[in-house]
Amino acid sequence: MIYDTPQCYPGGDRYIEVELGDEMSFDLNFRVHSLAARIEAARIAGVIELIPEMASLQISYDPDLISYEDTVAEAVSLAATLGNGGDAELDSRLFYVPVLYFDPWTRECVDDYRAHVTDKVADPDLLCQLNGLPGRAELRRRHSSSEYWVAALGFWPGLCSLMPLDPRARLNAPKYNPPRTWTPKGTIGHGGAISCIYPDRTPGGYQIFARTPMPIWDREQRLPAFRDSLALFRAGDRVKFVPIERDEYDFIAAEVEAGTYQHACVDYQRFSLAGYRAWLGRIEAE
Amino acid sequence: MIEVIKPGLETSVQELPGRLGYWAQGFPPSGPMDAWSFRMANLLVGNKRDTAALECQFIGPSLRVSQDGWAAVTGADMGATLDGVPVEAWVSLPVRAGQTLALGGAKAGARGYVAFAGGIDVPQVLGSRATFHMAGVGGYALRAGQRLALGPAGPVRARRVPEAARPAIPRTRTWTVEAVRGPNDSWLTGEAIARFYGSDWTVQAKSSRTGIRLTGPAFTFAERAFHKRPEHGQDPSNILDHGYPLGAVNLAGQTPIILVNDAPSTGGFVNPFTVASAAFWKLAHARPGDVLRFREVTVREAQDLRRAMDALCHEDSLAEV
Repeated sequence: MIYDTPQCYPGGDRYIEVELGDEMSFDLNFRVHSLAARIEAARIAGVIELIPEMASLQISYDPDLISYEDTVAEAVSLAATLGNGGDAELDSRLFYVPVLYFDPWTRECVDDYRAHVTDKVADPDLLCQLNGLPGRAELRRRHSSSEYWVAALGFWPGLCSLMPLDPRARLNAPKYNPPRTWTPKGTIGHGGAISCIYPDRTPGGYQIFARTPMPIWDREQRLPAFRDSLALFRAGDRVKFVPIERDEYDFIAAEVEAGTYQHACVDYQRFSLAGYRAWLGRIEAE
Repeated sequence: MIEVIKPGLETSVQELPGRLGYWAQGFPPSGPMDAWSFRMANLLVGNKRDTAALECQFIGPSLRVSQDGWAAVTGADMGATLDGVPVEAWVSLPVRAGQTLALGGAKAGARGYVAFAGGIDVPQVLGSRATFHMAGVGGYALRAGQRLALGPAGPVRARRVPEAARPAIPRTRTWTVEAVRGPNDSWLTGEAIARFYGSDWTVQAKSSRTGIRLTGPAFTFAERAFHKRPEHGQDPSNILDHGYPLGAVNLAGQTPIILVNDAPSTGGFVNPFTVASAAFWKLAHARPGDVLRFREVTVREAQDLRRAMDALCHEDSLAEV
């Protein structure tokens, strides 16, 4: 559910958890980001930074400048101005992410796990089985058919939680148990109802089945897309996966290596909640 | 300039207040775990108290200085020597070009700090010189042969930190750690909350700048931990991904992990308690096998402790040599 009034809880002497609901839904997540945008726009003295997540946001504050109670009161009163969000718009960049589905590197990673940790159905086949898909081609078609909403970032710098905006593209998958000790950089994974892109070689738990040569993380800030940060995405961005073949993968990887790669990004759009809801209505009617 | 002869065990450049403003993208604040000792080291060499300095963990580094100046060693006693001769910690220490300042293993506590007059002048990454070693943000832990530039030093007046203004590391290896309830204490039973504050918790060997793992009695969960929407996850300790406060006692299954400076920013486990920021120095010095006892404090009390700590980390706390 989405709460009428946010529920706020202290995280020690410097943090507050502001819970706006208890479900995983686009509406709730959009509300979280709308509230985050209002808190930031209000430039409240003593509010240091926010971590917007699926259904909640965390506020860091300086208790020498603002009390716990006053910070909560500010958050609650700004949340009350959100209404039902019908007229809300947020800045939203769109990134086209080239993806080689069923690539050799994630296959090698899965084989390694199956050989050394526990035997399991290969990740793409498991996704097909659990979601009633006839084969890998349909999985690629389904997974690349929707724009994805960057609902949150975290756990690791730049690691994104992606929600499909088209309900027809929804997939479900369990997470690895136990988790993998390594995942290739740029791997596309899916766990629960969420897709992700692994920014770097890290442990992981999502089912994996594709890889992008496009960096979403650049420690050296070498490429122009990383001028402002080492991590590419911000919450509220959108991602569209574009299936490519191996030759295109290698071409892009070489461009990245040479430092000439330019990320395909549309950054003149705003995301309209009303427009999105109207589109959802038309899909459902069909 | 200083040159790293031996790097020690994951010695890193740290700075306060840490890397703020990028947590929403998953970048942790980092910074020194024992900000108290860190600030005192800076004040002893005439730096502003939040200037970039070194944090040493369990085993300190050997460093050759290439210019005359001042250094200070604080935090855990790592038996510092200058060209092999034992030197005092918690004082302004004159160093001459070519001398080697060497730290050994921590005799008590775990983290030592070394400040140089002028501060460590590494480039800022996302607005900070703090190191997040695991992801290589702001560089990595020091390596042998590495050279670190120093900033311009101001005038230094030799002083000392009196005993009363230093963190006291208990001989009993038992720590009282102040912790506030929340944000997710309602996921536990009342008995589990009482048991948390009433039990001994042993620090596991698998502890680092990301988290301090504890062993202790089992947790029991309230109704809401079982009757929740499926997207929260299957384990009672699972919750929809949310932000993680620094100091959160993060409950992964039955293992509590206190999230410290380099912790993950978000995740899917509940945080029933949060350690007061003024108690972080204790987490910095708790060694595997040490016992933590949590004392419940209110948000207000934790903020008062923070203020008192802040006031203590001040030039007025230093004494003449």
